[in-house]
Amino acid sequence: MITQHRIRRRMATTTPILLALLLLAFVALTLALGDRAAARMASETLIRVTLVVGFWIFAGNSGVISFGHAAFACVGAYVSAWTTLNPAMKATLLPGLPPALAEAHWHVLPAALTAGLVAAALALVTGAAILRLSGIAASIATFAFLAMVNTIWANWTPVTGGTSSVVGLARYVTPWVALGWAIAAILAASLYAASASGLALRATREDEVAASASGIDQYRHRLLAYTLSAFFCGVGGALAGHFIGVINPDGFYLSLTFLMLAMLVVGGIGSLSGAVIGVLAVSLAVEALVRLEKGFTLGTTTFALPPGSQEIIIAVAMILVLVFRPAGLMAGREIMLPARWVTGRGTSQN
Amino acid sequence: MSLQLLFDALSLGGIYAIAALGIALIFGVMKLVNFAHGQFIACAVFALILPSTDAVAALGLGLLPTPLLILAILGFGAGLAVAAEALVFRPLRNASPVALMVGSFALGVALQNLLLVLYGGRPKAISLWAGLVAPVRIGPAEVPLLQLIVIAAVIAILLALGLMLKRSRLGLEMRAAAADFGMAQLLGVRANRVISGAFALSGALAAVVALVMVAQTGVADVRMGGQIMLIAFIATVVGGMGSLPGAVAAGLAIGAASALLQAGLPDAARPFRDAFLYALVIVVLLFRPQGLFAAADAKPRV
Amino acid sequence: MAKLGIHDLAVRYGKLTAISDLSFTVAEGERLFISGPNGAGKSSLLGAISGAVPAAHGRIEMDGDILSGLGPERIARRGLSMVPEGRRIFGELTVQENLMVGTGIRRDRAAVADDLETAFTAFPILRTRAQAPAGALSGGQQQMLAIARALMTNPKVMLVDEPSLGLAPKVVDEVYDRLCSLQALRGLTLVIVEQSSTRAARVGGRMILMRGGRIVADGDAAGFAAADLLSEAYFGDPA
Repeated sequence: MITQHRIRRRMATTTPILLALLLLAFVALTLALGDRAAARMASETLIRVTLVVGFWIFAGNSGVISFGHAAFACVGAYVSAWTTLNPAMKATLLPGLPPALAEAHWHVLPAALTAGLVAAALALVTGAAILRLSGIAASIATFAFLAMVNTIWANWTPVTGGTSSVVGLARYVTPWVALGWAIAAILAASLYAASASGLALRATREDEVAASASGIDQYRHRLLAYTLSAFFCGVGGALAGHFIGVINPDGFYLSLTFLMLAMLVVGGIGSLSGAVIGVLAVSLAVEALVRLEKGFTLGTTTFALPPGSQEIIIAVAMILVLVFRPAGLMAGREIMLPARWVTGRGTSQN
Repeated sequence: MSLQLLFDALSLGGIYAIAALGIALIFGVMKLVNFAHGQFIACAVFALILPSTDAVAALGLGLLPTPLLILAILGFGAGLAVAAEALVFRPLRNASPVALMVGSFALGVALQNLLLVLYGGRPKAISLWAGLVAPVRIGPAEVPLLQLIVIAAVIAILLALGLMLKRSRLGLEMRAAAADFGMAQLLGVRANRVISGAFALSGALAAVVALVMVAQTGVADVRMGGQIMLIAFIATVVGGMGSLPGAVAAGLAIGAASALLQAGLPDAARPFRDAFLYALVIVVLLFRPQGLFAAADAKPRV
Repeated sequence: MAKLGIHDLAVRYGKLTAISDLSFTVAEGERLFISGPNGAGKSSLLGAISGAVPAAHGRIEMDGDILSGLGPERIARRGLSMVPEGRRIFGELTVQENLMVGTGIRRDRAAVADDLETAFTAFPILRTRAQAPAGALSGGQQQMLAIARALMTNPKVMLVDEPSLGLAPKVVDEVYDRLCSLQALRGLTLVIVEQSSTRAARVGGRMILMRGGRIVADGDAAGFAAADLLSEAYFGDPA
């Protein structure tokens, strides 16, 4: 006999599949119907999915808001740049790189993986300190971490290029590449959420005292989630860098942090589906706003939103969501097949 | 040399203390980490000039004679903060602390971009009280007059604030609300009045920081709120969330550490001074996560 | 007209019903004990009356004015004060400051000064330690401070939630002694949640027994102690 528990388990496994199909449909649709600009938007959106899903692995399961995940993206982007750029270019632009990196000329895939691993290692080391703090204090510490990375990156000119952009990254990120990584992130997030660690972490999200009374080691689980989360943000950063071909510390600082947070809030921080839906919703809104900022002509006059209004509108939208629908669009629920579908046709109700 | 360093440390620490107080005040009363505080500071700076995207700013409120100018900017800061509370934080009054924090972050972004829309992204030159950078000789040191004024002002503000909190009705109600909000309400304390009062004070303190920053740097930049806000947050956490004396002490300590690092670091490492500061803070938090001055019962009662 | 009237009150926490269909009245100057086992809804009842907890259904009125729906601040202003469970003293404020917190709602400064003097006379320890941080007081002293503090709002009705919690019996005796004399002095109406029904019987007054969010008995406190009604309420089958 099939138990309720097993039914729910099966329903839960359909979530990553459905999300992957959703994104697949999204890519197929944009490529079929749209122009090159639409293809660019599709890639951008999918890169954000990797970033935000990575972010969700930690923030969604632990309930702790980290303001520092953009720093992992920054590290990932630069690691990928360091390992894939032409050594001749690096000799001139980034003279401070250690010889091993200066001579490296890898294929993009190991570079992306390394980007994730380095970000994860950084998360392990810094998280070991930061995650001992209580929720709000930890959030502030992650903000300090973000600022620290940004300061180092903006000033360590021989190694990072400082505030000037590093150019020449191989632009290999097509919508399909981005989709591949996005699905990988979603799978990993699903697996983690269903794992013992994910469950334990979500318990601490609800009630720290009760969870620790049940023997849950909040610190250890937070650290695991934080590290895994940083891996995907690192990869996401590498993807972002290779998408535009140009990277700069400012591109992985407050604007990115704000965007990631907005997507998570709008979609709903409580579920993976919320993260994905949030990315789609906010990306589409941003796309529309960007076009409005560029301006459109009606008759003889051109209307254009002043630059900066895009962020204002998104910020106001975020506040409205927090006031009127704090759990976000998905309200903490996952997208999954209904129970009937997973128990097979013809099975009677228990 | 070390006398110079002392004044540097005191004036920098003093301003950090004022900035940290602005955040600690609001956190104490409603457990809100106000990420928009840095933007309150920035807005107060820009309140001095007329909206335009020119590189040289035309003074608006900045044209007023000094006493009126100070009052106007303090009033602006307080008003902005109270408006933010009424429009953004009051609707979120019963939301989780995380939602409040994220909401304040969004507000900060909105304000910063509003400044961008009104004033453009280029830093502007503002000439305010230019005479104050003239050095005054004290013993072997040459100290800018502005530093002395800042130190004096910080002391005066701390005294006034302490007096207000200890002696006035609003101060008593704020302290009671910070200790136990629900109990204060049961005794008839009006939540809205206390919270608006805390925001008004916080906004006025932000305005003080704004005036000092403009006088010191002569520049108005839409990005200026960010860095000092970060330090203010860190001071609040290090001092113990919600502890006012802790925030002041931590602000002073961080100012001192910053001045020391600036003087002591080799030239090559100077640009990374801030990174050292943040790292130092994380180390402090490692050993004393509840902050230096937190109450003994900082953990939730089981 | 009853001083305090509760009509068809229901209190829910999410899906959990703490109180359902509760109705009773309290006469002016009465001393009413609410007793019953844990989870009976006693604290929720006081919470709902004082406005700390929203009522899902029903009406609460005092002197004919409707209190339900008003927040705790406005209810306190109308003359209903609450001494909550656990005292909830403002530990970092001084004893005197604690007493003064509730006086913001009063206009007559002379009367406030008089009341402060009355508090110090009724509880001399408060006068001695007036400038000490309230957190330094002992449990019993804090209980007296909490009662005196609530009285500083000049209430007509006072709710007291578990005044004997965590206190030694002799101390509890003293607390009730002062409470009762203050009630007589000021013509207060008292509603007291008291876990120990024997204690309530000894102090004397009316008693309402609650169980499972409902009233199971209502009568003289001393009378209950005698009858089997108490163990019935605590251990018997649910009604």
